[in-house]
Amino acid sequence: MTHVLAHPLAGQVLALASPGAMGTGEKVAFWVLGIIALGCAIAMVAARNAMHSALFLVVTMFCLGIFYIIQAGPFIGMAQIIVYTGAIMMLFLFVLMLVGRDVSDSLIETLRGQRTAGILVGLGLAGLLGGGIARALGSIDAKGLEQANATHGGNVPGLAALMFTRYVFAFEVTSALLITAAVGAMILAHVQRNGEKKTQKEQSRERFAEGNHPAPKAGPGVFAHSNSVATPAILPDGTRSARSISPLVEPRELTAEDTRPKDTLTGGGNQ
Amino acid sequence: MHPVIPYVVAALLFGVGVYGVLVRRNAVLLLMSIELMLNAVNLMFVTADTSIVGVPRSGQVFTLFVIVLAAAEVGVGLAVILRFFRLRASVETDGVGAATETDAPREADAPRAAVRPDPDGEAR
Amino acid sequence: MNPVLAADITLPHINYGAIAPILILLGMACVGVLAEAFLPRTLRYPVQVLVSLVAQVAGLATIIGLALSNYAKKPTLTAGDALAVDGPGLFLQGAVLVLGIVATLLIAERSVERGGAFVAQAAVTAGSEADAEQARRQPSQTEIFPLSLFALGGMMLFVSANDLLTMFVALEVFSLPLYLMCALARRRRLLSQEAAVKYFLLGAFSSAFFVYGIAMLYGFAGSVKFHDIAVAAISSGKSDLLMFIGLAMLAIGLLFKAAAVPFHVWTPDVYQGAPTPVTALMASCTKVAAFGGILRIFYVAFLDSRWDWRPVIGVIAVLTMVIGAILAVTQTDIKRLLAYSSIANAGYVLTGVLAMQKDGISSSLFYLVTYGFTVLAAFGLVTLVRDQDGEATHLSRWAGLGRKAPVLAGVFTFLMLSFAGIPLTSGFTGKFAVFSAALGGGQTTLVIFGVLSSVLLAFPYLRVVVLMYLQEPAADAPTVAVPGALTSAALAIGAIVTLLLGVWPSVLLDVANSAAQFVG
Repeated sequence: MTHVLAHPLAGQVLALASPGAMGTGEKVAFWVLGIIALGCAIAMVAARNAMHSALFLVVTMFCLGIFYIIQAGPFIGMAQIIVYTGAIMMLFLFVLMLVGRDVSDSLIETLRGQRTAGILVGLGLAGLLGGGIARALGSIDAKGLEQANATHGGNVPGLAALMFTRYVFAFEVTSALLITAAVGAMILAHVQRNGEKKTQKEQSRERFAEGNHPAPKAGPGVFAHSNSVATPAILPDGTRSARSISPLVEPRELTAEDTRPKDTLTGGGNQ
Repeated sequence: MHPVIPYVVAALLFGVGVYGVLVRRNAVLLLMSIELMLNAVNLMFVTADTSIVGVPRSGQVFTLFVIVLAAAEVGVGLAVILRFFRLRASVETDGVGAATETDAPREADAPRAAVRPDPDGEAR
Repeated sequence: MNPVLAADITLPHINYGAIAPILILLGMACVGVLAEAFLPRTLRYPVQVLVSLVAQVAGLATIIGLALSNYAKKPTLTAGDALAVDGPGLFLQGAVLVLGIVATLLIAERSVERGGAFVAQAAVTAGSEADAEQARRQPSQTEIFPLSLFALGGMMLFVSANDLLTMFVALEVFSLPLYLMCALARRRRLLSQEAAVKYFLLGAFSSAFFVYGIAMLYGFAGSVKFHDIAVAAISSGKSDLLMFIGLAMLAIGLLFKAAAVPFHVWTPDVYQGAPTPVTALMASCTKVAAFGGILRIFYVAFLDSRWDWRPVIGVIAVLTMVIGAILAVTQTDIKRLLAYSSIANAGYVLTGVLAMQKDGISSSLFYLVTYGFTVLAAFGLVTLVRDQDGEATHLSRWAGLGRKAPVLAGVFTFLMLSFAGIPLTSGFTGKFAVFSAALGGGQTTLVIFGVLSSVLLAFPYLRVVVLMYLQEPAADAPTVAVPGALTSAALAIGAIVTLLLGVWPSVLLDVANSAAQFVG
């Protein structure tokens, strides 16, 4: 896949000395991956269906992961695939499922010219950045990561060495970030239940306790003059039962017309 | 290979991400576009490692940090967005800020349930 | 197993004494999280308030100790050069903590609104039966205290970070708790959660630009340390274009947090929607932290290229001052008015920053502290004017408050006069300091726009004053709550410092002057 460079010289010299540090296979792989990644990114922002968008983003991230591995950064490539495509994108998919799979983005412009402005800004920025970098980097050549990997005995130990020496404080502080994220997700998701949940036994005891009617409750309209859902049931003792109707329904006073006996056999109250 | 090619790809990915943020109205998709921008940055960091005479592998360490930070950010962000969805039954960002006027009456309605006593609550 | 490791790695020396304030804050925040997990519900509030205040006071004491033991004169770098312990760093850390203590007093208040200004259970859907229940009875969620400690710790780290990576991590550490705290208002929960979504999405967008800028500068300098970037800016053979793109991207991220004009759109909505004590925290501490970062980046990493970028940032400063002032005039909501005023004030600090010399640093530091205290007291007063729906923030509701509550109206008038820059208030001395520093730095145009914009900005402030004294109160005028001990303390501190720094500014200016030397 790549040339193995066990060159003893320092990086700078090496970079000048071996411009062809990357092999043909690598080049081809990058062209293919780069085009797929870019195409999927464009498809991601253009797709109407949210689910398709997420899957296109997964492909883009996957391509970048493979690209890192080819560039001799196996650890970072695997982290990209496992954490990004594996964990983060799964989180996105879960949330998309929760908010409704068919939530698609209506691509109708709310502001006139918003799309055009977006394209212009995006392209302009990409052109500016890309062009700027192309000019700035002029004659610098890639040297591959192999010789970098040769120091410190390989990619992963090298990363570990850096992380625990040079960047150790930033690494430690990241923990504060993760605690915040965990606490935050919990605040926004956790509902405290008031008191213990009743067991079936307790519910049953309660039902047959004194002062309660163990029998099924009267439905709306029972013993009443109307069978409307808005008419409370009249209990055998003549009182109205508030629990026979839904709390969402406004109870209403019945008019004389409502309470008039209706002759259902001869065709209703139309006579 | 000239490192300018991955750099330009990264710049293009970043531009596509910015475009996505500007035109998307679904908050989840908007967040995904931001992730695309962060991925573009990661590609730049890894590529920088191959072309820069600095501390070797620093770029990869930065990439790791960006990945961790993105994970934390997405965790919090999706929690906030889900909460928002529960309220609005929509994740469109159009209406954000539009609730200023309609908010007060809706909350005045809230204690309505207390007006109608239900003697045996959930046993029903 | 690789034999190389153990032999090669030498851990960097970490001067724990010098970074103790940050460690105290972050450590106590973890203690707060543990208390939340293990203590019974009734004990949590007193314990959290205690932990929060003890952490900040201990942090402040440590900072004063460090400053007295000459860290300001002999600045050091520690933890593998990731952190700078120098004059401006210590001053800004101290400012964050002092303002943080006052903001914590406002956050901890529970008598103005029964149970506190924060929702009891954020997960309960707004408008539901359970929500009405919790709004009436249950006390606030106490996670707000560890979150605010994390935010303050992150800000302290942000102002003393000496490389871009640490700065980026710190930016996220203080942003994430703020996004969350925005969503926790007890009243008007819909507005609050929308504010959180908006703040989060725009914040994440701007931090993506920030990290892109880091990548560019890493590509340019081969390092993310400020000192190395400064060296590369002079001697690197690479095109400066890379550096300027990187700087522009960094500036987007920083100016977003500072609420400068093209990047200010979130400010009014978020300030309005967030619970008022959190708004107070954002208007004071976040502003200090953001400008701390801006100062360090401009004065350490990009000092030598200032001739190239200063005009661009100058244009942003002018836009910030002018547009902030113009939009403040049109506002009808007191929280939005204060938000636009905070945007304009960001422009004044930026004017001081652009002086690009020593008194530019000291005057900006001074201005940040004066503005922080005044704005904390102003938002503290906003929490007191209430009707049955919570805070009455619409300006028309404030009509005639001068007769109903002369003390409150008097203090608010004093604060408004300070914002307007009337002499004998800290607003005047602060503006005088930044404008004279900018004049000394040759930024005459900026100062002209600054003075014009402060004249314009005086109008909305005075309109509030006129409204309070000269108009009849409405029939259903809001009541003025009696502030509890904590709010009273916060208001007293804010108002007294505003007066003190107005009549005797040298107390703080001398400290700021002696601190104004960055370590490279």
